[in-house]
Amino acid sequence: KEFDEEASKREVEDIDGIDEQAEYEAWKLRELKRIKTDREERRAEKEREEIEKRRNMSEEQRMKEDMNHVKKQREEKTKGKYM
Amino acid sequence: MANRTVSDAIAVHGTNPQYLIEKIIRTRIYECLYWKESCFGLTAETLVDRAAVLSSFGGQYGNQKPTEFLCLTLKLLQLQPSKEIIIEFIRNEDFKYLRALSAFYLRLVGTSIEIYQNLEPLLNDYRKLRKQSLDGEFSIVCMDEFINELLREDRACDIILPRITKRHVLEENGELKPRESVLQELLDEDDGSISSSSQEVQDVQENENVQ
Repeated sequence: KEFDEEASKREVEDIDGIDEQAEYEAWKLRELKRIKTDREERRAEKEREEIEKRRNMSEEQRMKEDMNHVKKQREEKTKGKYM
Repeated sequence: MANRTVSDAIAVHGTNPQYLIEKIIRTRIYECLYWKESCFGLTAETLVDRAAVLSSFGGQYGNQKPTEFLCLTLKLLQLQPSKEIIIEFIRNEDFKYLRALSAFYLRLVGTSIEIYQNLEPLLNDYRKLRKQSLDGEFSIVCMDEFINELLREDRACDIILPRITKRHVLEENGELKPRESVLQELLDEDDGSISSSSQEVQDVQENENVQ
């Protein structure tokens, strides 16, 4: 049984640089995926915080924040028009 | 005697460091041949020789036998070498299994900041490691994949990993700078927006399918 283990180990090659380009490309893909997952998680986290914040506000506070937001949007629009 | 933690060991996560490996696995390690034959009387220096000749990593396999990798992890927990020595092991370029072992060990005993600071650079190391799975079979897992597992999963090599503070929390507290990937430049050229980075991922994926 011990012999089998050695044989199956030898079958799986762990020598690096046999195909350097392919090994690098595979890594690059993994790294990009990691960056993407990280960004998505951060965005989800932010959203969660925002929802939490809104939930803890009173009705008036929420209204006030909405009005401010609308006002800001309107200002930006007007700026656009006369530029 | 031989299974005792060094007498001047400092408690890790509020416990004897050896207890980070749950009792049932610990007992199996104490009983296995490799532990008795090859780990007896090891010191932090002589342990390096054992780690340097490792040719695979993993948790338990076959009839719940612990891998040599796991035995050496327990030995490190027993000996508790200084953090400087462990970081030195992690930085070594020559022995990849020694690097994997010491990264795993630091993940068990280190603080969140130590873990991010010392493990994240290894995400750029794409050397191949043999992993022995539960059924005894081997497969290739690259160093960066193993490190990513250590940073994100609750479990690795059949060991429960201690809780780690999320990166973004440490960043908000100013304890850690955001991680800069070596591919950052590439992403910035593309605007760095999420859509373009996912486009890049898709491109690479398509290339892979073609190959």
